[in-house]
Amino acid sequence: MQGWIPALILGIAALLGAVFLYNTVGRGHRASLIVLGAGALTGVAGALLFMLPLNFCTFEQEHDIIDQVFGVLLIAIGMAITLLPARWVLTRLLNKQSFLAVDASPGAFKGIILPFVFLAPTLIILAVFLYYPSLETFRLSTLLARLGAPRTAFVCVDNFTRLVDDSTYFNTVVVTLLISLAIVVIGLILSLFVAVLAYQPVKGARIYRTLLIWPYAISPVVAGVIFLLMFNPTGGIINYGLDSVFGIQIPWLNDPSVAPWAVILASVWKSMGYNILFYIAGLQNVPKDLLEAASIDGANLVRRFLQITIPLLSPITFFLVITNLTYAFFETFGTIDYLTGGGPLNSTTTMMYRIYQIGIRNNDLGKAAAESIILFVMVIGLTVIQFRTSGNQVTYGA
Amino acid sequence: MKRFSLLLAAVAMLLSAIPAFAQEPVDVNVWIAFTDAGRLGWAQDRAAEFNEMFPQYNVIIEGYANYEELFAATALAAEQDSLPAIVQYFEVATQDARDSGYFTSIAEALGDRTEINGLSVNLDDYVAPVSAYYTLDGEFTSMPWNTSSAIWFNNMNYLNEAGVEIPTTWAEVEAACEAIMALENAPEYCFTFPNHGWFFEQWLAQQDAEFANNGNGRDARATEVTFANEAGVAVLEWLNDMMDKGYLYYSGAQGGASWATVDQAFSSQQIAMAAYSSSDTATYTQVGVDNGFEVVASFLPYNDATGWTGNLIGGASLWLTAGLPEEVEDGALSFLVYMTNTENAASWHQVTGYIAIRESAVEALSDEGWFEENPNFRVASDQLSQSTVTTATAGAILGAFPSIRNVVTQAIDTVLLTDEDPATVLQSAQEEANTMLEEYNLLYSE
Repeated sequence: MQGWIPALILGIAALLGAVFLYNTVGRGHRASLIVLGAGALTGVAGALLFMLPLNFCTFEQEHDIIDQVFGVLLIAIGMAITLLPARWVLTRLLNKQSFLAVDASPGAFKGIILPFVFLAPTLIILAVFLYYPSLETFRLSTLLARLGAPRTAFVCVDNFTRLVDDSTYFNTVVVTLLISLAIVVIGLILSLFVAVLAYQPVKGARIYRTLLIWPYAISPVVAGVIFLLMFNPTGGIINYGLDSVFGIQIPWLNDPSVAPWAVILASVWKSMGYNILFYIAGLQNVPKDLLEAASIDGANLVRRFLQITIPLLSPITFFLVITNLTYAFFETFGTIDYLTGGGPLNSTTTMMYRIYQIGIRNNDLGKAAAESIILFVMVIGLTVIQFRTSGNQVTYGA
Repeated sequence: MKRFSLLLAAVAMLLSAIPAFAQEPVDVNVWIAFTDAGRLGWAQDRAAEFNEMFPQYNVIIEGYANYEELFAATALAAEQDSLPAIVQYFEVATQDARDSGYFTSIAEALGDRTEINGLSVNLDDYVAPVSAYYTLDGEFTSMPWNTSSAIWFNNMNYLNEAGVEIPTTWAEVEAACEAIMALENAPEYCFTFPNHGWFFEQWLAQQDAEFANNGNGRDARATEVTFANEAGVAVLEWLNDMMDKGYLYYSGAQGGASWATVDQAFSSQQIAMAAYSSSDTATYTQVGVDNGFEVVASFLPYNDATGWTGNLIGGASLWLTAGLPEEVEDGALSFLVYMTNTENAASWHQVTGYIAIRESAVEALSDEGWFEENPNFRVASDQLSQSTVTTATAGAILGAFPSIRNVVTQAIDTVLLTDEDPATVLQSAQEEANTMLEEYNLLYSE
């Protein structure tokens, strides 16, 4: 690599950083020179955030255009990570605002040390078991590495960019999104339906409710095993029943268009108990007088349900969408492992399951680390979008 | 007075501690990949007998759920310098085990000793295909233990009713299927096999075709896989043909999960024949007895066009950790010899169906009339002893083999479930496998 490339990149980063901070914070301010300097410094720091560990490898000559685009993307992300907080800090510094969002109220700690002492046990555990492994994941994602191998090899961003023209990876992303969407939509609709039924004041309602919540206590792996036995194309109870009643046999696990539904059914069944629990609690909070008033006004059962109960349940639905989505992304993998093993034809290989296959079964740690970072970024993105879009329509109380 | 008695007590304690200290048994840890009572239990029983015979040792056997988990546990233990004395590795991880540097060869550890702790070591007594597989660079490397071969199980009720003989070739399988599926009470499908890479390797070896270059990785480290050769394509084309004709049942399960689906189809009589490992001969024979059908085992059918050269082994062997303290190493070696002695090799065979790995055990079982009474149990050893040992039938040794197997089963999955051309699918699988092997070799070789 020619030596001038990093210099050029850092120069541009400094310029962009300075312009950005000057435009958003410092225009016309007395301290504009300081702002310009700080902007240049944070711009450079942002560019170096990923490029220093990578040693600007994406811009080496033997790397193709995809790698270079990816490198630019990394620089942009790095600069966003440093510049946005810098803007926040600078604005507050220049306007002499407090850094604490909430003013000290009577119950608050006075100093800054004591709260951290109390937080320390949690922070230490998080650092050791979460933050440090996460940083390791970033390091691993640039390597060719195997558990037990005497050495590793640096491969720059190949673990990421090789996925661009990998059609099976693209297929995995689509499968993940479709399966997750189906689990959330079908799961929530069914759960609400069952919750409304279980909420009716019938004899033995408590027993029904307890039984309905049961599947939640079962691990995803056990759910996979139970459904494996039931869905088995030869000798499974479901096909036996279908065959003797309707005379049909469904290739549950060996037809790529059917197998995802087996996974969806098993996962929905598994998560329903949890959803029902929350919906029953939600239904108990729907004010009776509101429903009564509506029925006096002539609203029928369906209308009351659609226009009063469902909007009032929206905070719970919103919460359940997020927890179910997390479940669909990360926890269905135990079910998949035992039920279909990702097959047939990769029709049930979700991103999480693929990471397991690559990292644990194939012992290819670098590629698995790269893919888990992509999954991580995707889930963050989805959650942000969700908070932005559906968050507005949620009604919290009257 | 009080002080005196205290002193006396202390002296008494010391005195009693001395002999105990001298006899403190040495721990010999053994990690194996079985958790079932039949196999883990059998090993633990042998350990208990051994500990009784040799009070200076304390063999502790720990079971892991599967080979992959055991492999990961071993790698982590190595990083923490707490490797057990003996670890079980399955045959495809042989290269990984060699490259790891954790282990020493049995031959080297033995040196020129012909007996250890009074137990006679006779490495020449192991049956030929077994010692061929685990002899690397001319040296007996790891201790064979659970060795199997792929064989063919027939539900004779269907075969007799259709009036067909047990098939020995692919064409005969097809002919038998035609007759069986024409029966009034025909099964759901004619036959099945576990979509496990091992079966592809078996069918390749039968045709004397190699899986990898450099003499299947036995002359030198394998640098390329070659399984997309004519023989490999023939296997996939035959399976595809059988699938299209509706004879082959494919459960959709791959690798380790595929075994159970075959068990279920065979025991519920939804199929008439199945390729399977001889390791479960005992179970398969018993399933027939329990459900009222006769089960006869036979050689794995081969490709008529190329003829039969031989079959390879499967299963696992026991590896001895390098750099153990002398007394632990001797204990570990003694236990390895004890666990695979004539009597125990025979008992292990009878309990499971893994082949009797010692010639003397085979003889003892023959004399006892065991094989006459249980003809299914001799099929695997006959198949192996009639095999011609070539680099193809000795079995491939290469890095990243477990993941390359997954690539192969994926290719079979694609061929069986889509209309794609077997040769093209196998070719791209070979390319993918070559990338894996190349990356593996990059980290290990030189």
